[in-house]
Amino acid sequence: MTTTEAPATRKLAYVSAINEALAQLMRSDPNIFIAGEDVGLYGSVFGVTRGLMKEFGENRVVDTPIAESGIMGLGLGAAATGLRPVIDIMFMDFIGVCMDEVVNQIAKMKYMFGGKATLPITIHTMAGGGMAMAAQHSQSLEAWFCHVPGLKVVMPSGPYEAKGLMIAAVRDDNPVIVVNTKTLLGMQAEVPEDMYEIPLGKAHVVRPGSNFTIIATGRMVGESLKAAEELAADGLDVEVIDPRTLQPFDTETCVASVRKTHRALIAHEAVRFGGIGAEIAAQIQEEAFDFLDMPVGRVGAPFAPVPFSPVLEKQYIPDAARVVAEVRRLLGRA
Amino acid sequence: MDISNDTLLDLHHRMVRIRLFEEEAGKLQESGKVPGALHLYVGEEAVAAGVMSHLSAEDQITSTHRGHGHLVAKGGDLRKMYAELYGRSTGYCKGKGGSMHISDLDLGMLGANGIVGAGPPIAIGAAFSNKYRGTDRVTICFFGDGASNEGTFHEAANMAALFKLPVVFVCENNGFGEFTSQARHQAIKDVADRAAGYGMPGIITDGMDVLAVYEAAGEAIARARRGAGPSLLECKTYRFFDHVGVRGMGVVYREDAEVLEWRKRDPITLFESRLEEMGLLTTEAAAQVRERILFEIREAIAFAEASPFPAEGALMEDIYTVRGAAR
Amino acid sequence: MARGPIGIIANPASGKDIRRLVAHASVFDNQEKVNIIRRTVLGAVAAGCDEFLYLHDGHALVLNAIDGLDADATFTEVETPGTASALDSERAAARMREAGAAVIVTLGGDGTNRAVARGWEDAPLVAISTGTNNVFPRMVEGTVAGAAAGLVASGKLALADAARQCKLVRVEVEGERDDLALIDAVLLDEPFVGARAIWTTRVLRTMVLTRADPAAVGMSAVGGLLHTLTDADDGGLVVQVGPGGGTVVAPIAPGLFEPVPIAEVRSLAWGERVEVAGPGILALDGERERRLLRGQRAWLRVERSGPWVVDVARTMRLAACRGLFRFEAGGVDDAN
Repeated sequence: MTTTEAPATRKLAYVSAINEALAQLMRSDPNIFIAGEDVGLYGSVFGVTRGLMKEFGENRVVDTPIAESGIMGLGLGAAATGLRPVIDIMFMDFIGVCMDEVVNQIAKMKYMFGGKATLPITIHTMAGGGMAMAAQHSQSLEAWFCHVPGLKVVMPSGPYEAKGLMIAAVRDDNPVIVVNTKTLLGMQAEVPEDMYEIPLGKAHVVRPGSNFTIIATGRMVGESLKAAEELAADGLDVEVIDPRTLQPFDTETCVASVRKTHRALIAHEAVRFGGIGAEIAAQIQEEAFDFLDMPVGRVGAPFAPVPFSPVLEKQYIPDAARVVAEVRRLLGRA
Repeated sequence: MDISNDTLLDLHHRMVRIRLFEEEAGKLQESGKVPGALHLYVGEEAVAAGVMSHLSAEDQITSTHRGHGHLVAKGGDLRKMYAELYGRSTGYCKGKGGSMHISDLDLGMLGANGIVGAGPPIAIGAAFSNKYRGTDRVTICFFGDGASNEGTFHEAANMAALFKLPVVFVCENNGFGEFTSQARHQAIKDVADRAAGYGMPGIITDGMDVLAVYEAAGEAIARARRGAGPSLLECKTYRFFDHVGVRGMGVVYREDAEVLEWRKRDPITLFESRLEEMGLLTTEAAAQVRERILFEIREAIAFAEASPFPAEGALMEDIYTVRGAAR
Repeated sequence: MARGPIGIIANPASGKDIRRLVAHASVFDNQEKVNIIRRTVLGAVAAGCDEFLYLHDGHALVLNAIDGLDADATFTEVETPGTASALDSERAAARMREAGAAVIVTLGGDGTNRAVARGWEDAPLVAISTGTNNVFPRMVEGTVAGAAAGLVASGKLALADAARQCKLVRVEVEGERDDLALIDAVLLDEPFVGARAIWTTRVLRTMVLTRADPAAVGMSAVGGLLHTLTDADDGGLVVQVGPGGGTVVAPIAPGLFEPVPIAEVRSLAWGERVEVAGPGILALDGERERRLLRGQRAWLRVERSGPWVVDVARTMRLAACRGLFRFEAGGVDDAN
């Protein structure tokens, strides 16, 4: 049975946590199937579906042609007629190919049909740079989908979150986009063996603190924890919050933290301009303007495509050092 | 062709019901009572009627922006349809979809759609679902000559053939993609030619002859039901009205003579004369059918006009499914 | 000898009917028809013809074929009603006759050639098969078919040497205009034209055949597997379908062998009339065409008054014998 925030028991890699979540979900519900490019025989290019075809057969772990619109529409049609599909889009960048299915069809069918449609579809995809894969295989585009009513967006920051959010996403009766991060796939952490859900729309205070709040998504949660350690030397007691779900967004938890710490910075790997950080910053100033001791800061990628050369890519992708530097700059201590 | 007298009269009834629904809808829009854009199905009735006559409510269809005819033929409730066109809370979509998204999932209609070419991927999903669950249900994907240029059609056709899905792609080739004639939007004339590229049969039938459609669709559907895979049925038809709205003559993108030529092959007139020859229908009986449907329509319009607009809170409802509220 | 332009009548609708669904007929896409027309034109030009008349169909097959084609020839469209139906082919054939065409090249099936014959009954034809299961037109390479047509059109060979006149079924319908079929006329117990092609045997009643070919597919095969009759033979064959005389299993459509109960098979003398009566549909050359109302009669008879069909292989052999494609050293420029 489902337990929420079950006790951890053993260490598991991020990739294995996703894999285990999918396997357990499929065992528990015959209406769940996975479809995507190379998810079956090959086990997905990232290994997240390894072994699933062997266990569940090719009818439930479906290798598709390279045809993102077709795959996404297949998921929609199947969801609208009673199945619970998990659609794998290999790289998040490829969602560009099927934006109509995601934005105009999946997100809107329920509303357009006056509420009649129920669309329990999960879109699983991989975001983030750091692997020298350049501009079309490295983006973090989660903000696009947070802007579209009808969609939910989750962004796991570690193995525990990867499993719990995947289970919650698949069991949710709405379209949920699960944005996993490539460079985290090898990350190890304690993960319960049982199925458990991390409730959607609920942020998690990863590190409690008293005088500075960092709200970080995905990979930047780990980077922000490192930054917090370093900033402790400056006398800062940093609270790190992982929203886990970006849409619907848990404004309450973030605002409560800022009311306590009076200072906030948002860190994400996506391009800073128009990123989810802009929305979070706006919500904080709307809800806690009088509590703020300084402008809300943001760390994100520069307004450029993700470059190929590792030297350039290192300049591009935000990390703990960048968070530390930005916090110090904001506090006038740089 | 095995076809009972009852089925013949039912085909006629379905076509007339579409025609009258659309003509009245056009009038309502022109008089300003119905807001937004209407893409009317007049002229193409034989396709919807001939295909839908083989389907039950369990079989699904995906439709197009020209979707009223499909829903009427699938057994749509005219009251809920007009109420939707009026933007009322009693409409099929509670006034949130309108003409372009009119649908009834309970009748297996996965939506009219405002995006050209959106239907094929959705249709293969429904077909996948039918096959996955071991049913003999079939999904019909209606699309036009214009949509056959969208990548979505090609992706879906490929996947349907690859997975041997129980889907029939019904191309309503009315000769125009919106306001652009077929000769100006694709280098081929027969969309059915494209089927071979995906490894499925593609055939052409006269879309103005409801019996030709009925016969061909029946075979394509039977083929899909017995697990033999998808096929493409191209119905050559014509849009009597404009792409949007009622006016169909005196437009820059086609000659009036062409419209008049096609109107000579009005699918309802053609079929009525056939039924009269067979002694199944008289002029009086045909008039009675019309009168009965018009009565239903007048009542449906009155229902729509008497219905309330959506309440204020409705704006933010139906965006998400609340846990536990789903089926 | 006859000199005149070559007419081209290509049917864009052939090869796409319901038999792809209910049987296993091949798909003949229009791009391939365009290619065949190109090769035909080039073959004809090589054989000495530089003038063409054509039917402009809605698919613009001929215009597409000659677009950018490196051929020194003129192409003239003949006027048609533009109905995108068989009527266009029929009218085009009549116009070509008036315009003095020496020969017509058809691309289509039995139905296409029937439409042409309705417009010009004894037309000289080079019939290239692009239909479903054809008995009348042949599967022949367009290049060579074009060359054979070119030899006739340029007057290098006499039509009588290259061609032979075919039989047809004359169809008289009570109170209505006459009709014809080139291969078969069949009464069906069926109220509707529907999807046109014949693909069930249950509705078959009376067949009159000009050819009964056991190597064919379609109605001709039903007769052919009982009693062979070639186009060269005199008269026709009548098959009454029904109980009493056993069953023949015949390919009525590509890949579709079906049992057909046979009540009677008999030869039909020249001009002898077979009476059939409605209600029903008369299928002509494999397509459900004419409705007969209850009690309405029709009479079918076989005559040798059909098109003159060019035998492409024989024509090319004749051309070889006469050295029509041979030139003295340095003389190729004089070829045309």
